[in-house]
Amino acid sequence: MTRYRVAMDIGGTFTDVVTYDEGAGVFTAAKASTTPEKLSEGVLAGLDSVVTNLADVNFLVHGTTQGLNAFLERRGVPVLLLGTAGAEDVYHIARGPRTRLYDLHYRKPEPLVRRRDVLGIGGRITAEGTELTPLDEQAVRDAARVARERGHGAIAVAFLFSYKNPAHELRAREILLEELGPDFPVSLSHEAAKEWREYERTSSAVLESYTGPIVRRYLLDLEERLDDRGMTVPLHVMQSSGGVLTAETARAHPLQTLLSGPVGGAIACAELAAQIGRPNLIGIDMGGTSFDVSLIVDGEPDVSVEAQLEGLPMLMSVVNIHTVGAGGGSVAWQEAGGLRVGPRSAGARPGPACYGRGGTEPTVTDANLVLGRIDPQGFAGGQMTLDPGLAEAAVAELGARFDLSPVAMAEGICDVANSKMAQAIRTITVSRGIEPRGSSLVAFGGAGPMHAVFLAQELGIAETIVPRFPGAFSAWGMLQTRIRQDYTEPYFFLDADLDGEDMSAALTRMEREGLAALQHEGVDEQRRSAGHAVDVRYAEQEYTLTVPLLDAAEPTTPGFLEAVAKRFAQLHEARYGHANLGAPIEFVTLRTTAFGDLGKPTPQKWPAATTPEFPFETRQVVFDGEARDTILAHRDDLLAGHRVSGPAVIIEDTATTVVPPGYLLTVDDIGSLIIRGEEQE
Amino acid sequence: MTITVGIDPVTVEIIRNALNSAADDMNATLIRSAYTPVIYECGDCVVALLDADHRVLGQSAGLPIFLGNLETCTRATEEMYGREVWRPGDVWILNDSYLDGTHLNDVTMFGPVFVGDTLVGFTASRAHWMDVGSKDPGGSMDSVNIFQEGLRMGPQRLVIDGVEQPSVTSIIGTNVRFPYPTNGDMHAMIACITMGAKRLQEIVDRFGLDTLELARDEIFRQTEILEREVIAAIPDGVYAAEGVLDNDGVDLDTPVPIRLKITVSGEDIDFDVTESADQTVGPVNCGVAQAISALRVGYKLLISPDLPGNGGSFRSMTTQVREGSVLGAVAPAACQWYFSHLGLLIDMVARALAPVLPDRVAGASAGDSMLILTAGRDPRVNRDFVTLEATVGGWGAWEGSDGESALINNVNGSLKDIPIEVFETRFPWRISEYRIRPDSGGSGRWRGGNGVVRTYEALTNMTVSLWFERSRQPAWGLFGGEDAVGPAVVINPGRPDERHILKINGMPVHTGDVVRCATGGGGGYGDAVRRSAQDVQADIVDRNVTPEAARTHYGIVAEPVVPPAAVHPALVQPTACGLSSDVAAPLISGVATSVWEASA
Repeated sequence: MTRYRVAMDIGGTFTDVVTYDEGAGVFTAAKASTTPEKLSEGVLAGLDSVVTNLADVNFLVHGTTQGLNAFLERRGVPVLLLGTAGAEDVYHIARGPRTRLYDLHYRKPEPLVRRRDVLGIGGRITAEGTELTPLDEQAVRDAARVARERGHGAIAVAFLFSYKNPAHELRAREILLEELGPDFPVSLSHEAAKEWREYERTSSAVLESYTGPIVRRYLLDLEERLDDRGMTVPLHVMQSSGGVLTAETARAHPLQTLLSGPVGGAIACAELAAQIGRPNLIGIDMGGTSFDVSLIVDGEPDVSVEAQLEGLPMLMSVVNIHTVGAGGGSVAWQEAGGLRVGPRSAGARPGPACYGRGGTEPTVTDANLVLGRIDPQGFAGGQMTLDPGLAEAAVAELGARFDLSPVAMAEGICDVANSKMAQAIRTITVSRGIEPRGSSLVAFGGAGPMHAVFLAQELGIAETIVPRFPGAFSAWGMLQTRIRQDYTEPYFFLDADLDGEDMSAALTRMEREGLAALQHEGVDEQRRSAGHAVDVRYAEQEYTLTVPLLDAAEPTTPGFLEAVAKRFAQLHEARYGHANLGAPIEFVTLRTTAFGDLGKPTPQKWPAATTPEFPFETRQVVFDGEARDTILAHRDDLLAGHRVSGPAVIIEDTATTVVPPGYLLTVDDIGSLIIRGEEQE
Repeated sequence: MTITVGIDPVTVEIIRNALNSAADDMNATLIRSAYTPVIYECGDCVVALLDADHRVLGQSAGLPIFLGNLETCTRATEEMYGREVWRPGDVWILNDSYLDGTHLNDVTMFGPVFVGDTLVGFTASRAHWMDVGSKDPGGSMDSVNIFQEGLRMGPQRLVIDGVEQPSVTSIIGTNVRFPYPTNGDMHAMIACITMGAKRLQEIVDRFGLDTLELARDEIFRQTEILEREVIAAIPDGVYAAEGVLDNDGVDLDTPVPIRLKITVSGEDIDFDVTESADQTVGPVNCGVAQAISALRVGYKLLISPDLPGNGGSFRSMTTQVREGSVLGAVAPAACQWYFSHLGLLIDMVARALAPVLPDRVAGASAGDSMLILTAGRDPRVNRDFVTLEATVGGWGAWEGSDGESALINNVNGSLKDIPIEVFETRFPWRISEYRIRPDSGGSGRWRGGNGVVRTYEALTNMTVSLWFERSRQPAWGLFGGEDAVGPAVVINPGRPDERHILKINGMPVHTGDVVRCATGGGGGYGDAVRRSAQDVQADIVDRNVTPEAARTHYGIVAEPVVPPAAVHPALVQPTACGLSSDVAAPLISGVATSVWEASA
């Protein structure tokens, strides 16, 4: 019987579906319309388009944007926040930085709770975790009444030092549930993020309260429908950390799903890094309205333990995605006689002039169309036809102001956009201490492969890779991942004061908890594993680096402190350009991650070419101010071993790859397009 | 529209972006490599690329108070030693309050950039060093001359032809209290300067010096036009404002007046601060360069907040500063708190121009750093400790919005407060209160932001130093908006030994003593009678305004009754929780900044 593994990446307009047929070893990609009003129906429709019987699905994963959308549109549930009396304003003080320095009219990121909905509750735990003042239980009961009267849909509880001693938060929940019923959503800060720093932890709990009930309801609804349709395996959900969880667990930790959408692309890059043996990759995901950059360093996605969403912090493991521009929708305009491209975007509406939705300003997409680098018929998998006349009119109008022909103007717009994107990438790598020349560029999203070689050229990167299914690469990535659950434990010690036995015991406890959770997730025993790490910093430093440990027992081994100090120094050198081996270090947080291996699809071999020839047409495309005969080939006609000399344009359903003159494209044995300078060959 | 002959607009724009991006890379290098949080967290630093004539080619949006005066340092060095002093591979260091304008903790480093034998420009950076050997660690509240404030260096060649000079580094090493991090920060600055030089060389190699110079002229021209357009729209005339510091920190009874006169004439604007107080005995003086920087910040906030700074910026602006005044200090004036009157001056620019730029200005902000510094020995771990915190305050309201509450002042960039959990874990204090201070913002049609109250209980014996300013003249309102309430620090409130105090150096406190620090609010905007009853009611409910203040300031009698929250449709209609038709739009919203990006 045929069994399928299916991944779905739900975007704003389209849902990408990638299916792996376990019997035949074949991947297929499909696109379905996203149904904003009834998201789960769209998911089911997407599934129906690739699988006839849901009982044949062996594994189903999806990245949900449900929580993120509720956040972005500020449609979350009304939250009541309980804080420590005297410090109940920490959420609104928000640590007080001004992140835009030349703004006299600065406002902080818009909080999700108004001050009227914050209640100070008596009770205080000290820095040592002892009780200074008992919890004011009556105040908690009164808060429950307030929630009922004011119609709050969730309560977040964030007390000082709850990461040291959660007793007050736990007791508060008991009281709230007694008063409001066992199903009332209550988020405790030490469960949402078991780390110090009250503002960030409170913000994490509030975000969970605000979006969690919506995510939960959506997942429950979808699980029920999948059950009804005969699906026999649990639904899995992508997490911000790059791992997956069963929907059942995700409902208990909804915050982890918040940034799950874009993360698939980075996971896909990591898998590609392994398959093609390139440990360092820069992933660029460029679409009609966005340009995201992710880094793979030494084969691993770049993961942080803290993230911000529109300025609001969350303490949790997150794959770093840097949003640095507006993609194809970036508008070209004139200011003081100078040319500017972006940061303003035409967005999806009216969008570029060529969309014919009323936009009149030229965008990067219009410029590409004028240059012949986009096929007007096949845009967005043929879902949309572009109007080259409108693009040309918009570009010509701007060109006239600079005394430039439409073609010169169009190429100028692309050149400026490419140089800006390349510089943004360079600054990201410099901040991380990485030299872009040492990486390969991976281009995906509809517009990524169109610009990628130009960006590589600006950055001095030798190799550009366009993977298969560049338009559905995130969904492909989701099929490559594993179950992941993160556990943290504050563990604040100077190295001199550390008790290795105690640290090891703590890690062992966390490992046991993690492995038990994997069992609950349905992972077979031989497929369970755990990894350990500890956040370390030099004494007096603010920021930490996460240092991997060999195993839970390592802290008990002789020479442990020296080993971890050395590992930390190496990481510090790589990240910050210097280190100070021998200086006192502090341990701050223990981290244990439990992994459940889900098995991976076998990389699919791409058919090998039997002759060097492949079908192509010739078309005029502008490069360096000159219209040149350019090869126009379809991606599926290019087989492993084929070589295409630029200039060339390779089209496929969801993306267009541009190979400029002087570059050579080869097809590798898994079907990736590898583009390098001719002289390198 | 005229375009500079000989260069196309595409190349100009690519070069313009490349120069700004080179400055961003320099900044990223400095912040990445710095050892001390004041640089890598507060961003207390600035970088710039200059051309061979000391004009800014590109700079990062660093600490505003350092805006556009790095070129002063290269220029002064050249005036001192002649142009032939510049040699490839050299890096210079300088901290001299009377040259760079700031306090000795701010160290400027710079290096010439050569392509072949041609000097093509300079790269420069400035960063705050934790300690430069002043009489008290980190800086004193009561110094009376520059010699008490630490090591002072005129331009020194720190690196010669790529080789660091031990003769200079040993002077630094022996004069600072924390040589290890200082050394680290120094190397971060060298790395930053080297990175900038490499980028500038790459740009010259790629485009050629002639093209770069043509592009530079066009870039400067574009910036100048944009700024002149704004100034031309301001009616000609003289606009003045007067402000006052509480005192100089030593003579606590004598206020220090600052006077600003702005003259607009066509596309030109002149800033005159010559009528300000003579330089003081206490450490609230700065050199001319910093006075100009502060005026430029005030100018930029109103005229060109979104434009990257370059050699075309400020061309329409002239400044008059009097030598021997608090804004043009000469040796041996003490300069440790060089920024208190500069923050004031920035607010005064907005006040002076309010009548002609009513939509761009805002009421004054709480204004100063509001510092509390404590030191002692932590009995829990038997180690010495020092704490230094700036405290957030309220900002002024503007046409269309209330001011923001609990925000750091201008001079501290993007500084965050220290979390209570971090503070209590590390230091023998308990923070029993950290709240927004109601009624501290000035009332008005638009209400000024509120300050905060932060209350500390000592868990051991130690010393406390304070620098709280702007009590004589709390943040003013505009267009009928009322003034804010100023700062107040109370020791042991409600006890027989209660004491009110704003500035002090090294005051002993004992176990159980309480220090309650309250910061001021921001000024209001527009007459309070124009504020709607609903807005006042909302202020009461949100605890921004007390019912008593609502009555006295707004004439509104209301009770703090909270209306019900809107029930989310998802909770009553299971199918209504969907996503919008265009999820991408809010994510990118047309800005080239990261919407969600992990902070490392």
